[in-house]
Amino acid sequence: MGSVSFDTYVHRESVIHRWAPRLKLLSLLGLMFAFATVQNLALVPWILALAAVLYGLSSLPLSFLRRRLSYPGLFIVAVVVLLPLTVGDTVLGQWGWLTLREEGLRAALLIVGRFLSILTLGFVLLGTTPFLTLLGAMRSLGLPTILTDMALLSYRYLFEIAAMLTTMQQAMGLRGFGHRRQGWLRVNRQTLEHLALLTGNLLIRSYEQSERVYKAMRLRGYGQGSAPRQSTTPRPTALCWGLTGAVGAAAIALVAAELSWLR
Amino acid sequence: MHIPDGILSAQVCAAGYAVTGLATWYSLRQINRRSDPTADIPKASLLTAAFFVASSIYIPVPPASVHLILNGLLGVVLGYFAFPAILIGLFFQALVIGHGGLTTLGVNAAMMGIPALVAYHIFQARTSLGRGLKEPTRTGVFAFLGGALGLGMATVIFVALIILNIPAELDGQAERTAVLALAIAHIPLALVEGAFTTVLVLFLRRVKPELLEG
Repeated sequence: MGSVSFDTYVHRESVIHRWAPRLKLLSLLGLMFAFATVQNLALVPWILALAAVLYGLSSLPLSFLRRRLSYPGLFIVAVVVLLPLTVGDTVLGQWGWLTLREEGLRAALLIVGRFLSILTLGFVLLGTTPFLTLLGAMRSLGLPTILTDMALLSYRYLFEIAAMLTTMQQAMGLRGFGHRRQGWLRVNRQTLEHLALLTGNLLIRSYEQSERVYKAMRLRGYGQGSAPRQSTTPRPTALCWGLTGAVGAAAIALVAAELSWLR
Repeated sequence: MHIPDGILSAQVCAAGYAVTGLATWYSLRQINRRSDPTADIPKASLLTAAFFVASSIYIPVPPASVHLILNGLLGVVLGYFAFPAILIGLFFQALVIGHGGLTTLGVNAAMMGIPALVAYHIFQARTSLGRGLKEPTRTGVFAFLGGALGLGMATVIFVALIILNIPAELDGQAERTAVLALAIAHIPLALVEGAFTTVLVLFLRRVKPELLEG
């Protein structure tokens, strides 16, 4: 986990990078939900094309998308493999015991099309907006202070705690943990206990660190009422409004096309 | 056990956000009733990060390994902070590794977070319902129930959502078989999660009991 960085490409120059964070967040989330409404397979090329255009405009390298798409999850893999072979009555082809069915294939293509396009938009949003700016935009849109503060502090200590766990696991390995062979399909009680104690130690260390952090924050005035905030956010430019309008229009057109198809 | 983007319809995703909004509002209301609500924020935040990292620990069950969910344990340790913690943890997972998704964040948070709140109440009930048991058996039993039911409830919600949303062409018998198979496959995982939670909670009770005050 330590090798994955949130903010690698956020300082590049592109129209998507220059898009005002609040408008970008609302527009892209709206478009993601419009993508989720798609049930008609004929609309899938359109949503993939829209996601590709926005990704192209964001100037993010293809390697960024490829690296992140390498974690599609077992569930999507199961959908792609199982649905075309198990669901539906219309047989498209048969090879021995393998039967390719049209209904299952259509369902799998629809799910994978939506998955790829929504995920790509998510990466456009997260790859072009610094994490702190994104949280600031969420807060200005009404996210409660407790949630923002928790997200900021968790983000601050996430990689530190991950490094702590790696060190602790290395120490366990050096003391011989994991070197003994275990029986198949059996949970070794001692292994379970050792891993539970490892997690317990991680929690205690994090808890003790949190007490030090809290004292330091109190000394700096945390919880004493917030200072008047000065608005430093620049006014959205015509380009921002143009992008917002175009993405909003695309989202509305998709939903309208889906509704007209349903009728 | 995340539901990725693209699986659920927009209506279900929106309903997920509505339920998560309601559960977050309820949790924050309970937190704000404390004399100093900000006092526990650093503890909850660091433990959120620790849980997020700890969920990457795998229990070896040769020839594979079992990935821990820890939502029941989160409920037991964090109390009402568990729901916001899960919401933030899932947001990080969507952000860092693309697990879950932004449209399904509400559904996933409700699926993991509401069982965590139930696990918290189960663990708290040890003082009233577990009066017949002696310590540390009482803490151990209720920790096991919290850990196992946390995962068990999340599994039931996950299976129900998937079966109701994929795809219409499946016949009823196939659906029932799939539900049963998935539910049975998760029973050993719930037991492992329960046993893990028990060992960990008994360790915390011995070494750092204030962590279990919720």
